[in-house]
Amino acid sequence: MNRMARIFKESFRVMGDNKLRVFIMILGVAVGVASLTMMICVSTGAYEEVMDTVNRQGPDLLQIRPGTDKHTGLPSGSREVVSLVEEDVDAIQQHIGNILAISPVKDRKEIEVKYGDKFTLSRIFGVKPAWAQIRDFGPSKGEFISDDDVSFAARVCLIGQTVKKNLFGDADPIGQTIQIKNVPFTVKGELQWKGISAAGRDRDDRIVIPITTYTRRLLRDIYLTQIVITVADTKKVNESVEDVRALLRERHKIAPGEPDDFVMRTPQDLIDLASGASRSLINLLTGIAGFSLIVAGIVIMNIMLASVSARRNEIGIRRAVGAKREDILSQVMMECFLIAIMGGLFGTVLGYGGSLVLSSLKVAASKITLLAMAASILSCLVIALVFGIYPARKAANQSPVDALRA
Amino acid sequence: MIKIRNIEKTYTKGSLSTHVLRGINLAIDRGEYVAIMGTSGTGKSTLMNILGCLDKPTSGHVELDGIDVLKLDDDTLSALRNKKFGFVFQQFFLLERTTAQDNVLLPLIYADKYPADAVERAKGALSRVGLEDRTEYLANELSGGQQQRVAIARALINDPDVILADEPTGNLDSENTRDVLEIFSRLHKERRTIVVVTHDREVAEKAQRILELKDGKIYENP
Repeated sequence: MNRMARIFKESFRVMGDNKLRVFIMILGVAVGVASLTMMICVSTGAYEEVMDTVNRQGPDLLQIRPGTDKHTGLPSGSREVVSLVEEDVDAIQQHIGNILAISPVKDRKEIEVKYGDKFTLSRIFGVKPAWAQIRDFGPSKGEFISDDDVSFAARVCLIGQTVKKNLFGDADPIGQTIQIKNVPFTVKGELQWKGISAAGRDRDDRIVIPITTYTRRLLRDIYLTQIVITVADTKKVNESVEDVRALLRERHKIAPGEPDDFVMRTPQDLIDLASGASRSLINLLTGIAGFSLIVAGIVIMNIMLASVSARRNEIGIRRAVGAKREDILSQVMMECFLIAIMGGLFGTVLGYGGSLVLSSLKVAASKITLLAMAASILSCLVIALVFGIYPARKAANQSPVDALRA
Repeated sequence: MIKIRNIEKTYTKGSLSTHVLRGINLAIDRGEYVAIMGTSGTGKSTLMNILGCLDKPTSGHVELDGIDVLKLDDDTLSALRNKKFGFVFQQFFLLERTTAQDNVLLPLIYADKYPADAVERAKGALSRVGLEDRTEYLANELSGGQQQRVAIARALINDPDVILADEPTGNLDSENTRDVLEIFSRLHKERRTIVVVTHDREVAEKAQRILELKDGKIYENP
């Protein structure tokens, strides 16, 4: 057995003799590492969830909304902002190439809807048939709005899964008549289940009707809340964006140098927005977890310093019987490393467990990644090195006589 | 085998300096049993620490088997202590929550070569001090006399040339004192060099040669 192996064994033995002290230190590291692991799992999960939502919308989607709030996140579609009209849609269709499909959208939330004695508040969307394809939001049962429905402003609708549950329970809604603001509508179909959006909105709590019916029979809004476009060639999406922008600025008579009175979003914008947001979330959470690791390190350093000074006689006798300075340094550092590694493993397991519990309780999405594992283990070793070296050097640099005299 | 010449040792604390050793000359031959006497504070322990390469004098020369030890670096001194000396202290200095056997094995951890029969040697050393049935006891489960005997076994494990004992009986009752002194006499008969520092004349009188430290100077056969 060589000298290093003997000292390693000795470190292990000494730790076994001081179980409580070792346990407290391991716990300190474990808590830090567990929070780091959990933070990374949760923020990675959140990021992937957002990206999923964005990706579901497809790389060929172009959204235009009224307003000028380019820098404050997703546009609000505020009703006070009035700039987009249906003629804009016709103009885009006529003058811009690379448009595969286009649909104007009007919508309002919290509209009362009744069926028999059941009542609910839901968001009403007025759209054209192309909308289903553009938003990938077709019927799961029945049929979508047809061109004829739009031409004749038919009183037909498709209902989302939440609306169906609220009004019909398990019964089949197709062919039934519901009242939207006391106007009777025949249910033509059910919309696919979509779940909660990245913004936390229930995407199934909606009713879709022909845009003409929306304007003439229901809400009489003149202005659009949105125009959605699918481009034919995704490689040329940026050119199309510029063409549409130029056209709309001309139509809206916006002088050069004045800002747009509409906001255009490409899928790339959404991805940038989403990843930017989750990156800052990751940074924040990692910062907090890193801080707790530093606290854990300080706990280790303190206990190690206390232990080194409580063990002065032990260090003195080791030096007297032949331990070199580096032997003492190695022993204390090994104790730190062993504690850090054990705390790291324990903390990783704890962190994974915690993030699994969070995701199973649906508190937060979480994803177990190798990054989290690597980060935890690396941070443990760094902790051991940074916070172990000072007590270790302090121990090693005592002269044997001073250590024995203590 | 140990020769010291003109050893001076001064401790300085703030503006206060204490001149403990004032020009000590001393030669100890192989196989000698030497007692260094003196009242407390006369520098007996300081002298022993210098003899055992645990401390360095302020000035003077220390020679061990012809080697000028003051020219050696810290690592070489550690190795030298490991090979040449066995230490016994008044406070025993055992690792408390550690078995008698592991305490005895301590010097071997830092030996150049770890002997294959280390455990047997530890058991042998413990049986030489009459503790063959206590090998697995934790140090803090043993009586004071037993702890000092474990310390002596630890001092013997590396088969050192010199046993240096600083007030080895200072914390022991008369019966245990007798036992420890008997062990020293036996070791002396095995031609081992023994240096005992004590304030107790009875303990000193077991030695072959008695030195007295007084006012920083040494006196032979007082």
